[in-house]
Amino acid sequence: MKRKLYIARAVIALAMVLIAGHGYAQSSLDLRINEVLVINDSNYVDTYGRRNGWIEIFNTAYNTVDIGGMYLTDDPANPTKYWIPKGDPITSIAPRNYVLFFADSMPTRGIQHLNFKLKEGGSLALFESNGRTMIDAVKLGPQKPDVSYGRLEDGGVEWGFLEKTTPGANNFTGVIVTAGEKFGAMDPFGVGMAVIAMSVVFFALILLYVVFKNTKKIYSIDLRKLFSKPEVEVEAPKPAGEEISGEVNAAIALALHMYVNALHDHEETVLTIKKVARTYSPWSSKIYGLRNVPR
Amino acid sequence: MEHSGNFLTFVGEHLQQFFSYTAFANVTSGHLIMIAIGLIFIYLAIAKEYEPMLLIPIGFGILVGNIAFTPGLKLGIYETGSVMNYLYFGVLQGVYPPLIFLGIGAMTDFSALISNPKLMLIGAAAQFGIFGAYAIALLLGFSPSEAGAIAIIGGADGPTAIFLSSKLAPELMGAIAISAYSYMALVPVIQPPIMRLLTNKRERLIRMKPPRSVSKTEKVLFPIIGMLLTTFIVPSGLPLLGMLFFGNLLKESGVTKRLADTAKGPLIDIVTILIGLTVGASTQATTFLTAKSVGIFALGAASFVIATTAGVLFVKFFNLFLKEGNKINPLIGNSGVSAVPDSARVSQVIGLEYDKTNHLLMHAMGPNVAGVIGSAVAAGILLGFLS
Repeated sequence: MKRKLYIARAVIALAMVLIAGHGYAQSSLDLRINEVLVINDSNYVDTYGRRNGWIEIFNTAYNTVDIGGMYLTDDPANPTKYWIPKGDPITSIAPRNYVLFFADSMPTRGIQHLNFKLKEGGSLALFESNGRTMIDAVKLGPQKPDVSYGRLEDGGVEWGFLEKTTPGANNFTGVIVTAGEKFGAMDPFGVGMAVIAMSVVFFALILLYVVFKNTKKIYSIDLRKLFSKPEVEVEAPKPAGEEISGEVNAAIALALHMYVNALHDHEETVLTIKKVARTYSPWSSKIYGLRNVPR
Repeated sequence: MEHSGNFLTFVGEHLQQFFSYTAFANVTSGHLIMIAIGLIFIYLAIAKEYEPMLLIPIGFGILVGNIAFTPGLKLGIYETGSVMNYLYFGVLQGVYPPLIFLGIGAMTDFSALISNPKLMLIGAAAQFGIFGAYAIALLLGFSPSEAGAIAIIGGADGPTAIFLSSKLAPELMGAIAISAYSYMALVPVIQPPIMRLLTNKRERLIRMKPPRSVSKTEKVLFPIIGMLLTTFIVPSGLPLLGMLFFGNLLKESGVTKRLADTAKGPLIDIVTILIGLTVGASTQATTFLTAKSVGIFALGAASFVIATTAGVLFVKFFNLFLKEGNKINPLIGNSGVSAVPDSARVSQVIGLEYDKTNHLLMHAMGPNVAGVIGSAVAAGILLGFLS
């Protein structure tokens, strides 16, 4: 019994660890350094009217992620160089949204203003709140004035100089073709859709068919019998007709239903006494009434 | 005297202003047409008993949605902050359809399907209606997303149609939902001629083997395995399939009777009221009376016809491979269209017309519930490809 309890506890603990790990993957690790402008001569102006380098962080997840408590740094040897304060609404990044930081070395101007400036040939990294786990990093090569360096598509893997600087907006500035439009262009008459979708529908239901055709056989296998030594058994006589059909069951159920419903209290001037069960409830009990003296 | 003159002017002006707020001052011919449609729905529900649970809330919703008011009073379903807008949120965000599926799962007995699993294939075949309508919609110039949303009418499943159209083409949702529910109500009218046309007398008289009894273990395993298999293949169908099978597990487990009773009773009733009323109210004349809506109604009819035809023809084709004694009566082919339980009832009624002792209802319930699963899978596929 104790052993069983230990096993159950171990399974629950393992499940909790796995769930916790999954939750972690759905949050901070979904953040990406998305776009960087190192040389800002005539580009984006911050709320103080100054032009400085800026960094765009993108939340790739479909849930809100709080960047508060994490670290931004331009020095790999010092991962905790700038601590992003917690609890500010700015640090809470909506699903598939952005937050901007200004690399102006003026941290007194607000939490979006970092304590370092971006340099050509330098690097930039985002660290988890433990100061050890790197979430994302980018090596900054030679830079062009007023041209941002970023992922060609939000959260994508390919980096390059972007045609337009897009602080706080989608990096891809071309015409966005929806999945439906792409599908329609490839399959203008719907034949492909019919073939693919019907195949999937049939596959799903055939799979269910195969499983349920054999389910009874599978769960009726006696595993103990399978692995134990064969014993000579006296075969019990089988009941006539191996399976009872649904119709027979329905007839039995109907007969029982009619029998039960035929039991009534008053029949043709003959009275029968039937016990009426009452469910006990403390709400209506006098024992627990308010007139009792509280102890 | 002067004062009384001013007062009368004041009263007159305000009465005039009040009149400008009334529906009499704002009503258009479109509103009147929609009100007439709403009244027809209510009439059909009460006098003809065509799907009253759906047509009364929808019909009354159409009346509510077509009372002409001055914009800006936070009254209309499309005005942010109005009561109707809050209720409509459940439709727009796809909250109501999965809750209805939960109730359907808690009501549905899958025994007919478990005892004769090959009937599942009929439920799959009937989904041809969806993809036939999709192809026709593309030909008529609808965009792929719109075509997908319209095509799902062929699945004959109101909640699925609302769920998919809210994701793919929210602007067409009112017309799609009304079309889907209208044709579901008209199943007893649409299907019989097709069934008679595609079958001969010998086929209509086929007697099917009585279904075997199904054990409790099988019934409990069905929702678990069914959910895992279908959603592993089509994860985008998870909101509908997950809730359908969850509801069924509540019913079949035997230990959650209270939860199952709530799911199939008060919960589904509340959600049906909300979904019916808000979908009806979403058909404001200005958004509903368009050429697209006419196209949607035509496509809806076509999809029902294709689905019924595909179901019946598939059974005839399937029978070519089945031994004598195991053959399926093609009159249950129509019930692959998932209008539960109306299409199964149609099979029963038409079957009895030709043989008073040949009861097809139990057999038809198999493809009927398979159709629910099939249409939810099809919706998941359309959502996966087109959203």
